[in-house]
Amino acid sequence: MKKINIEEINRNIYNIKNKDEYDFKIKKGLTKEIVEEISKQKDDPEWMKELRLKALETYNKLELPTWGPDISELDMDEIATYVRPKTKLNNTWEDVPEDIKNTFDKLGIPEAEKRSLAGVGAQYDSEVVYHSMKEELMKQGVIYTDMESAVKKYPELVKQHFMKCVPINDHKFVALHAAVWSGGSFVYVPKGVKVDIPLQSYFRLNSPESGQFEHTLIIVDEGASLHFIEGCSAPKYNKVNLHAGCVELYVKENAYLRYSTIENWSKNMLNLNTKKAIVEKNAQVDWVTGSFGSKISMLYPMSILNGEGAKTEYTGISFAGEGQNLDNGFKVIHNNKNTSSVVNAKSISKNGGKCTYRSLVRINENAKNSKSIVSCDSLMLDDISMSDTIPVNDIRTDDVEFSHEAKIGKISDKAIFYLMSRGLSEEDAKAMIVRGFAYPISKELPVEYAVEMNNLINLELEGAIG
Amino acid sequence: MSKELLEIKDLYVNAGETEILKGINLKINKGEIHVIMGPNGSGKTTTANAILNNPIYHKENGSIILDGEDITNSKTDEIARKGVFMSFQLPEEIPGISVRNFLKYAKNKITGKPVKIFEFKDELKKYMEELNMNTKNMDRSLNVGFSGGEKKKNEILQMLILNPKLAILDETDSGLDVDAIKTVSKGIEMFKNKKNAVLIITHNTKILHSLKVDYVHVLINGKIVKTGGQDLAKKIEENGYAQYKY
Amino acid sequence: MEILKLNETPVRTARNFNINNIKLENINIPEKIEKFSNINIINNNSKVEIDSIIDNSNIVYGLNEFFSNQVEKDSNQKIRLNINSKINKETRIEYKFDKENNTLIDNIQIIANENTKSTIIIKYFTEEDLEIFHNGIINVIAKNGAELDIVIINLTTIKSNNFIAIQNTLKENSKINYCIIDLGGKNSITNYYSKLEGKLAINNVNTIYLGKENQLFDLNYIAELNGEKTNINIEVQGALKDNAKKHFKGTIDFKKGCKKAKGNENEACVLLSDTAKSLALPMLLCSEEDVEGNHSTSAGKISEKELFYIMSRGFSLKEAMKLMVKAKFNKILENIKNEEIKEQILIEIDNRLD
Repeated sequence: MKKINIEEINRNIYNIKNKDEYDFKIKKGLTKEIVEEISKQKDDPEWMKELRLKALETYNKLELPTWGPDISELDMDEIATYVRPKTKLNNTWEDVPEDIKNTFDKLGIPEAEKRSLAGVGAQYDSEVVYHSMKEELMKQGVIYTDMESAVKKYPELVKQHFMKCVPINDHKFVALHAAVWSGGSFVYVPKGVKVDIPLQSYFRLNSPESGQFEHTLIIVDEGASLHFIEGCSAPKYNKVNLHAGCVELYVKENAYLRYSTIENWSKNMLNLNTKKAIVEKNAQVDWVTGSFGSKISMLYPMSILNGEGAKTEYTGISFAGEGQNLDNGFKVIHNNKNTSSVVNAKSISKNGGKCTYRSLVRINENAKNSKSIVSCDSLMLDDISMSDTIPVNDIRTDDVEFSHEAKIGKISDKAIFYLMSRGLSEEDAKAMIVRGFAYPISKELPVEYAVEMNNLINLELEGAIG
Repeated sequence: MSKELLEIKDLYVNAGETEILKGINLKINKGEIHVIMGPNGSGKTTTANAILNNPIYHKENGSIILDGEDITNSKTDEIARKGVFMSFQLPEEIPGISVRNFLKYAKNKITGKPVKIFEFKDELKKYMEELNMNTKNMDRSLNVGFSGGEKKKNEILQMLILNPKLAILDETDSGLDVDAIKTVSKGIEMFKNKKNAVLIITHNTKILHSLKVDYVHVLINGKIVKTGGQDLAKKIEENGYAQYKY
Repeated sequence: MEILKLNETPVRTARNFNINNIKLENINIPEKIEKFSNINIINNNSKVEIDSIIDNSNIVYGLNEFFSNQVEKDSNQKIRLNINSKINKETRIEYKFDKENNTLIDNIQIIANENTKSTIIIKYFTEEDLEIFHNGIINVIAKNGAELDIVIINLTTIKSNNFIAIQNTLKENSKINYCIIDLGGKNSITNYYSKLEGKLAINNVNTIYLGKENQLFDLNYIAELNGEKTNINIEVQGALKDNAKKHFKGTIDFKKGCKKAKGNENEACVLLSDTAKSLALPMLLCSEEDVEGNHSTSAGKISEKELFYIMSRGFSLKEAMKLMVKAKFNKILENIKNEEIKEQILIEIDNRLD
């Protein structure tokens, strides 16, 4: 049978390159002077400056990972870690400079804000250029702001939580992040407040040979709930760009947080991101992740189920095409009784792309009556692509229900014949099966969600059913 | 306009190295219901698959003509769009695509016309009710988690919606209880008219109790060894296939 | 204090997951290897030649360099089986450990020539409460069309150190069925590597482990599928009592060119105490499109419902638990044709479950 020819994602929208204009771009490399300069530029309080310098020391001490994709092409001497766009933080789109606003327009952000979001943050290179939230949420005490403002306005809250969920020495790129972080969002949802409509932060990296190191810190207080969406993209350059963000989520007793990500970095990006959630008693965090872009991605969101009855679900898909090595997965630690985790991971490899599902499920001694169900499915669309499944299952007590299942294979010829017998062409039949494969993830995203995943899948599988 | 809908001429078909069909000849006219009967392994399912040109079977010789047009080497989807439908013995499960969206899309492909959403839903609902199907199943993934009976009814539903010229029913009656067989027969009667035809493939005679047919062919070891009317099925019911073995 | 690092996985993952290799401390490695003479070879088959002309220089994995070298240089038993039998008959090698024979370094090579059939049973056991040391290599070559049933039984004490590296090379249309019963060892470390080179080669592996007190099992199974339409099935059933601990690393590696190959791996661990530990890494690696790979793993205690059902038929809790564990083991033991050996294994399992 003829090989399927699914076109590369139409990247035109994502590929809009603006001129590399900035207010300030730090010189390339990573030294104490550079970190001090960033700290000065950002007018850090003393504790933050100290944290940055300590992190730099840690960075220099830590080794590169001895596993996973080869990231030796990353040369920090060639990366500018801080690029300040030529604008201040704005709270109306009118004040955002024309070319930057145009980019976000084309990505559909202001439109989505009007239709289906309760608040939006937009970061361009190293700084947030736009932040706004519906007034009624403000009245309820919800805080949604850029990270820099949070450091100044809510010093105690930030200091208490910043790099506490993800310790600086977690791995080398966390240390790097802590040393040069800039931008990102801070969210606080007070006790009992239910934010029904999602908040969204969008991260755009325009500047070549640079890095984005945004920090997202979300605290959902007792009994509150939130859906947070993060999107990211960048135009493609010939040289490597680096993304080493950090996401710290605190989900307090009885609270609920859904964290959705549509990652569509350009294919020269090294995406070495770190995300963790600490989940308290009877609280729940759900991760929904679509990973389409990047040259290399190493991303393993982690739920730490500290409270009794804490829950987490991970629903993720990776789609690797030519030249991409997407090493993604999930980690969960069960630290208390009656906790539960459900993992549904899928991957698609085509045109020589490589997907790896890498994971950890650890059920500790005290996590009695806990439950974990993991399922991974990998689809190979041709014989030049690769797909690996590397799950670690660490069960340290008996009173648990744990099961893990993984499948790997191609689209079944029988299924293709069945659909063709109903009048679908071979390409249509394959596209329909691939879409059906991705459906459990795409259905988890809000229908209104303007920009990303559904669009990407639809573009990818153009001609399939509407 | 010609009465003849399908003609199979001297068809030889292999699966891998094995020769399965050894010279099949068959003519089906518009307005007729034909039955191919035969024991397990005689080549019944191969015949159905060969008409739709399933790539796992290889035609060594012979031709298949639909409505005057040679479809021997056409692609499966082209054959489907020209008006041949097959109800599968083991319908495939396709996760993530609902019955409704699938059929809407397939109908669009087959008719080449846009499908009106609300009319289509009403039509679907009507047929599902006629077939005693749970109408909620229209929003479930295609065949996923359906029972054997639900899958077979879903095939008949697809036949009614796609309204082909020739419907091939491959063992649609097997594994069904009496009530389900009646429902399937009812579906065939609803479908049947003077312009189309039905080819039923089966190894037992149950469905012929509730359905009137025009021709019965006995397929043994890759060849049609006997052709007759409904009474031939009765004889087989009484005496089995042994009399035809040689 | 020397730390031994061995049994590396073919692909690394994060170091803090503690599964890339196994680190052992305080292992008494005998420096001077005495003779081992308590060996009994029962050969019912005149078509199986036995000698000691071994060439095991092609070992790909092994446990680590040190252990492979020890076998290469210091083995006190060398056995080569050269099989020319067309009918499946049994050849049995039995090592019995006692005070004088407490260290065994064995180097075994099995060559199944074209279109031959045979059964090989290798048993390690002792009737005394001894600390023994065993390090061995079993290197098997199945030539075109050869069929082999291999049973490996480790019934040594829970004070023992048991190290074994198995390597299989499968040529066209060959088939090797393994049944591995692993009950013994303070540390029982197994490296199992199969290379399915020839098309249509089949390798079935069925394993039981049963751990109590502070026993540690580290099983590193690697199957490489190179040939078209090759087939690997790995089934591992285990139970852990007390503080016993198991690491299972199972890799099915679909290499480019292994079109229409299939790989299945199922690993289930019954935890019989709240301090027993099960660590598993079931990997699927794939560089070929037209393949089917599945793995599943599970861990947990015996379900209360099942126990209740059996107890309602008059069994005590302990009896019911034993019954359930044995029920899980039975589907693996079914693969052993020799009833006498099967009975022996069942008795031993019964004793160790007490």
